[in-house]
Amino acid sequence: MKILACVKQVPDSSDTMAITPEGSRVVPTAATVFRMNRYDEFALEEALLMKERIPGTEVHAVTVGPERAGSTLRRALETGADHGIHILTPEVAYLDPFAVASLIASWARTRDYDLILAGVMAEDDMEGQTGQLLAAILDLPCVTSVMEARVRPADNEIDLEREIEGGLRMSVLTRMPAVLTIQSGINTPRYPSLSHVLRARRQAFEVMAMDGPALPGPLSRCTGVRLPEISSQGVIIAGTPREKARELVRILHEHAFLA
Amino acid sequence: MDSLTLIIAEQDGSTTSQELLELVSFARMLPGGGNPTIVLVGTARKDRAEKTAATTGCPVLALTGDHLGLYNPEAFCDAVLEALGDTEPAWICLAHTSTGVDLAPRLAVNLGATCITAVEGISGTTLTRAVCAGRYCADFTPSTACTVVTVLPGAFPPLPASTDTAGPVEHRAVSPGPCRSRTLGIAENTHRDSSLKDAEVIVSAGRGVGTRENISMIRELAGVFPRAAVGASRPVCDLGWLGYAHQVGSTGQTVSPKLYIACGISGAIQHLAGMRGSQLIIAINADPDAAIFRFAHYGIVEDLTTFLPILLEELRGG
Repeated sequence: MKILACVKQVPDSSDTMAITPEGSRVVPTAATVFRMNRYDEFALEEALLMKERIPGTEVHAVTVGPERAGSTLRRALETGADHGIHILTPEVAYLDPFAVASLIASWARTRDYDLILAGVMAEDDMEGQTGQLLAAILDLPCVTSVMEARVRPADNEIDLEREIEGGLRMSVLTRMPAVLTIQSGINTPRYPSLSHVLRARRQAFEVMAMDGPALPGPLSRCTGVRLPEISSQGVIIAGTPREKARELVRILHEHAFLA
Repeated sequence: MDSLTLIIAEQDGSTTSQELLELVSFARMLPGGGNPTIVLVGTARKDRAEKTAATTGCPVLALTGDHLGLYNPEAFCDAVLEALGDTEPAWICLAHTSTGVDLAPRLAVNLGATCITAVEGISGTTLTRAVCAGRYCADFTPSTACTVVTVLPGAFPPLPASTDTAGPVEHRAVSPGPCRSRTLGIAENTHRDSSLKDAEVIVSAGRGVGTRENISMIRELAGVFPRAAVGASRPVCDLGWLGYAHQVGSTGQTVSPKLYIACGISGAIQHLAGMRGSQLIIAINADPDAAIFRFAHYGIVEDLTTFLPILLEELRGG
C-alpha cells in the first residue's frame, strides 16, 4: 500500500502571535515557535500503524507552506515516514484551504496513493476542509472524523468508525483509494526514534516550489482579524488570588451551590 | 427552484429543528437571502418537510430515497447536485455539524464555489469565524458567485416559529447512483458515562490545568458540591489525563448543569457547543484573552496550579 499523510505546520501557541497594526492578519512574532498540527500527528501515526500491520506499505508525508514548514516535514520523517514532499509556498498570512487542497492534489493525482490521511482540522485556522476538498478535487470517497480504521488490503476496502454528535459512532465501509480525516484520540502518536532521526538526517526531501502563477488563486480571502468582544454579561473578578477565591466562594454561597 | 439561497439539512439525521431555525435566521441576513428554500434530504418516511414548511414559512424541497436514510457524502452530494440542475444559487447554508462540515466542501468543489465553515457572524458578504481556538475573530469574503457556508449552531438566534402561511412543499424522489463508500449504521459509543448528564454541577478540566497531577485538584473541587461530576475538554482526554467518558463538547456530551466551572479551558467552539446551555458558567484561566471568558458569567484570570489550592482552602475554611 502507498499512503500519503498530510501534515501542516502551526504556531505552538497563539499567545505569541500578533495582529498587524492595520488589523488585517495574525502574524508570528520572534517568540513564535512552530510545530506539527496535533490532529495531523494522529493522521501520521495512523499511517505508521498501517505500515506496521500491512507488509510492503510505504508512508509519504506532504506539507504545504513556507521554508520554515520544512522542519515539520523533517519531524514526520524522524517519526517514521519514508519520504517527504515539501510544497513550498511564499510566506503568506493566509492560504485558503482550496489552494492547499489543490496543491496537494497536484502532487497526489498521478502517484496512485491507496489512502490519503489528514487531521480533521488545523489548530490555527480551524476550517476542517482540506481533506474533503482534496477528495472532491481528486474525485475520491472521503470519510471524516475517523476514530477507528481497519484496512482490508486483499479486498481493497477499509472499515471505519467516524465520530458524530452526541457520542455516537457511524460505521462506514469505503473502497480504496480514499481520503480519511483523522480525529484526535484515535491513537497515541509516537515520538521520533533514534534510528529514524539518524536516517532522516541523511535523507533529503522533495521540494516543489509554488509561487506566482503556479499558486492556485484563493477562493476566500481573509480581510480582517480582531480580538473577540468580551460579552458584557460577564464579570471578571479582580483582586489578589486570595480575594478572588473569597469572592468566588461568596458567589457560590449566594447561588446556593454550597451548603 | 428560484431562490438565490438554499438551506440543506437531513430529513432524519443530526440537524435539529433548532439548528434549522437558526439557519433560516442566518439565511435572511444574507444579501438576497429573504426567502430561502429548505432542501431536506432523506427517506420519505418522515413528515419533517410539512412541519418545516409550517414553522418557517419557507418553501421546502424534500429529496427522498431509501438510500438517503443514513448520511453518505457521495449520495447526498449527488442528490443535491441533481436537484440544483441548472439553477445557480448564490448561497448554500448548512449547519456546522458532522454532516454539514463533511458535505459542504464536496458540494463547493462540484459547484466551483467557495466554502467557508463554522461561521458565527455576518455583515454584508463578510463572514466572521473564530480562529486559533477562539482567540481571534477573522473576517472572510468569498470571491466566487456561489458560496457554501456552514453555520455554527448557537451562533444565531433561531427564527421564531411562524404563524404565517406554510411554505409550499415539493417531494422529489431521487434514485441511487454508484457510491464508493457505504454507511452501515450508527451505534452508541461505549465510552459514554451517564454521570455528566445527571450532574447539577460540572467542574471541567482543560489543557490549562497544566499537568496530569493537577486533575486531582479538579476532582477535589468537584467533591465540594453535592451531585457534581468531572468534565474535560477534548485535549485533556486526548492526553489521557481523563477518559473520554468525561468529554464535554460537540463530539462528546452536551450538558446543561446548573453550574459549570471551566478550569483551564480555552473555549474552542467544539467545547462551547457542549456546555453553552449551562445556567451559571464560571471560568478560571491564566490567559485573559481566552474565548471562554466571553461566555462566562464570572471569570477569574489566574494560573490554576496556584489558584486552585487557595480556592480549596477557602472552601474548606468557609
